[in-house]
Amino acid sequence: MAARAERPPLSAVVAEGRVSSWLTTVDHKRIGILYILTSLVFFIAGGVLALLMRAQLATPGEHIVTRNSYNELFTMHGTTMIFLVVVPIWAGLGNYLVPLMIGARDMAFPRLNALSYWLFLLGGIILYSSWFAAGGAPRAGWTGYAPLSEAGYTPGHGMDLWILSLHVLTLSSLAGAINFLVTIHRLRAPGMSWMRMPLFVWSMEVYAALLVVALPALSAGLTMLLLDRQAGTHFFIPSQGGSALLYQHVFWFFGHPEVYIMILPAMGVVSEVIPVFSRKPIFGYTAIALSTVAIGFYSMLVWAHHMFTVGLPGYLQGFFMISSMIIAVPTGIKIFNWLATTWRGNLHFDTPMLFALGFIVIFTIGGLSGIFVAAYPFDWQAQDTYFVVAHLHYVLFGGSIFAVFAALHYWWPKIFGKMLSEPLGKVSFWLMFVGMNLTFFPMHMLGLLGMPRRIYTYHYGGAWEGYNLASTIGSGIMSLGILVFAWNVLRTHRAGARAVNDPWLADTLEWYTTSPPPPHNFDKVPYVTSPRPLRDLRRRLAESRA
Amino acid sequence: MPPPVRRSAFVLSVTLALVLTGTAAAGNGGLAPPSPASPNAASIRDIYWLILAITGAIFVIVTGTLLLFIFRYRSKGRPRELEGSQVRGHTKLELAWTAGPVILLAIIAGFVFWKVSDIGATSSLPDSQAKGAITIEGHQYYWNFTYPNGAISVDTLRMPAGRAMKLTIRSADVNHSWWIPALAGKLDAIPGKLNHMTLRATKLGTFAGQCAEFCGVLHAAMLAHAQVLPAADYDSWVSRRANDKLGLGKETFVGVCAKCHGLAAQGGYGPNIAQNPLLGDRKGLTNIIRHGTGKMPAVGNDWSQAQIDAMIAYLHKRFAQGASGGGQG
Repeated sequence: MAARAERPPLSAVVAEGRVSSWLTTVDHKRIGILYILTSLVFFIAGGVLALLMRAQLATPGEHIVTRNSYNELFTMHGTTMIFLVVVPIWAGLGNYLVPLMIGARDMAFPRLNALSYWLFLLGGIILYSSWFAAGGAPRAGWTGYAPLSEAGYTPGHGMDLWILSLHVLTLSSLAGAINFLVTIHRLRAPGMSWMRMPLFVWSMEVYAALLVVALPALSAGLTMLLLDRQAGTHFFIPSQGGSALLYQHVFWFFGHPEVYIMILPAMGVVSEVIPVFSRKPIFGYTAIALSTVAIGFYSMLVWAHHMFTVGLPGYLQGFFMISSMIIAVPTGIKIFNWLATTWRGNLHFDTPMLFALGFIVIFTIGGLSGIFVAAYPFDWQAQDTYFVVAHLHYVLFGGSIFAVFAALHYWWPKIFGKMLSEPLGKVSFWLMFVGMNLTFFPMHMLGLLGMPRRIYTYHYGGAWEGYNLASTIGSGIMSLGILVFAWNVLRTHRAGARAVNDPWLADTLEWYTTSPPPPHNFDKVPYVTSPRPLRDLRRRLAESRA
Repeated sequence: MPPPVRRSAFVLSVTLALVLTGTAAAGNGGLAPPSPASPNAASIRDIYWLILAITGAIFVIVTGTLLLFIFRYRSKGRPRELEGSQVRGHTKLELAWTAGPVILLAIIAGFVFWKVSDIGATSSLPDSQAKGAITIEGHQYYWNFTYPNGAISVDTLRMPAGRAMKLTIRSADVNHSWWIPALAGKLDAIPGKLNHMTLRATKLGTFAGQCAEFCGVLHAAMLAHAQVLPAADYDSWVSRRANDKLGLGKETFVGVCAKCHGLAAQGGYGPNIAQNPLLGDRKGLTNIIRHGTGKMPAVGNDWSQAQIDAMIAYLHKRFAQGASGGGQG
């Protein structure tokens, strides 16, 4: 040992290696980047699965994929987009941004944070390894309804790997959520009271709280399903005394809060972007913050609106209709406040703003179609049809994914220190906006015409064909938009312009530090006296100059 | 955005809108649920129109305002440093756009409760009251209908026009969902649970639907029809069907076997069975129908002996003409 004493210790070598430093990092910014890039890879994978489905449905009686493959495609697409894209990409953006926005040096538990990321990657690998399992990938839908998902009807290990993967992802999200809660509660900069916190941080607070409440229900349901499949229990097997309906209750008790877990951070992003590009403060800060909490609370009282056709007693259907409609009220409050924020502004239509405004239009449609399906007699017609597919994609693609793109374009300069190309950003926005509407709007009509979801083909003439073809063309246009974004990223990586600390003249603390920030984030955090600390600084600076 | 991009985006969206409207007008639309053939479906359509009117107005107001503000307050070359009006909120406005939606939603909910009392649909009736109902049983991948006199049909439900019928919906294996859009909303067939629906068809004709809850590999093939007959025709059909072994046998073969094995038993998703010696083996055939084998589900796990006999008789007649033994018909 003495002979080698001049060599640096292994830990130092590892901490500086190009690859090993990423493998061992506990820096929230690096973990955030790992989360974001991994989620984007899964986004491409899930998107390819969707394109295969749209190709299969482009015309009636198509034979591009087999029946079983089609069922695997929609199961993997849904599971991927929800568990491997939207939830973790918010975890990634939250990881990167929350400590910076509240003026902290890192998350509360950096090592736990690293564990969350690596569990997420492991969960994703387990899910995708199911393509190679005996009996193929899982094919009971992302909802995995029993008894179809029981061993008797879906043999093979695809389902078991699906359960294992979701278990691992649940642990990852739970650890991440607890980390967010502690960070937000304990590590805010001096002066940053709750009512001076950026609205994105508010949304991550509720995101994390909902994960903590909802995930155990999923874990319980999955454990029972796994025991049924592997240990001979019969929780969900009616012929042996179990209850098929129990699975749906447990699943949706998790599943509906999950919807708001995916959309609340999106609303948080929009609440950050719109004021900055309107050159105004957010209209009704308190109303938006409290409506986030209200949506989070009510999201736990609406799960059975996914079950209006299972034969619930009338009074329960009435209850779940009203609770679902109540959620429309805080949602409306947000939309009206965003509109009012643009009023008498100095609107700059940079790409983040375009995606945020696109979000408002599309999310309004998704929210309004939610009122249709909340009215339970109409839902008896729409449930499990393409009307619901349209509704959920308006909310999750037009909502969550558009906000993800707004966030990526907005914070890219901060995260990577380079400006994305504006012209390419705008082309990609318009392709995605037009493509998204062309893909998903005709699905409302398909649903009203009686097309159920999850069918691998159809033999119906007339309008079914036109709408399906239009939808497939739209999915192509949308993919072009995403390719343009990918090209934009590569081009910026090679030859993008350097970003200054605060290219958008924004309001929040993450723009106070350098782009990208140093490992310790801030040399000194200013005392926070309002929800717009950076604007306060700029004004003080201007006054001292004058 | 640069003007050429804006113009081409505009042209593109107008073209797409025209294409879509054209498609909608060419087919039977999809702009509303299908034209109703029962008071149930008519009530649901009324609810749809009311919500469409209210949400349509909200959409026009929201996007109209947004477009107006986008146009009116665009920067027009003003520098980013120039701030807009620093207004932070307005309590009365907040209250107004909280109360407004509450009122509109209350109107919708009130209308729904009013209409739903007409529908009298899914509440679970005690079994004693459901006697005389048509039992609709979902199977992988067909529908089995049992009428009050014991008659059976497969995939095509016969209903009398103008007479309120009780439908009892159940499942023999996994979750399915019974749905004929022109007649009523869907109601799931869930194993271990009986669901009930009261339905009065008012229009004659055959109405299409299909299983709406994903139920396995051939979910897409699980089509259904409801044939609404004049009441007298229905009564005579039901009493005829009770003794029509070959009719039931044929329907059973087409609905149950042919979806996998082909209409001529030539094979498809399942193997070719036209020459299968099992077709002549009454005991073996009964066993495979009752319990399934390999990938084949237990399609007839709860069939009556009459239905098994009817199918065997039909298979015998169709695929083993002249051979002896097995069928009785």
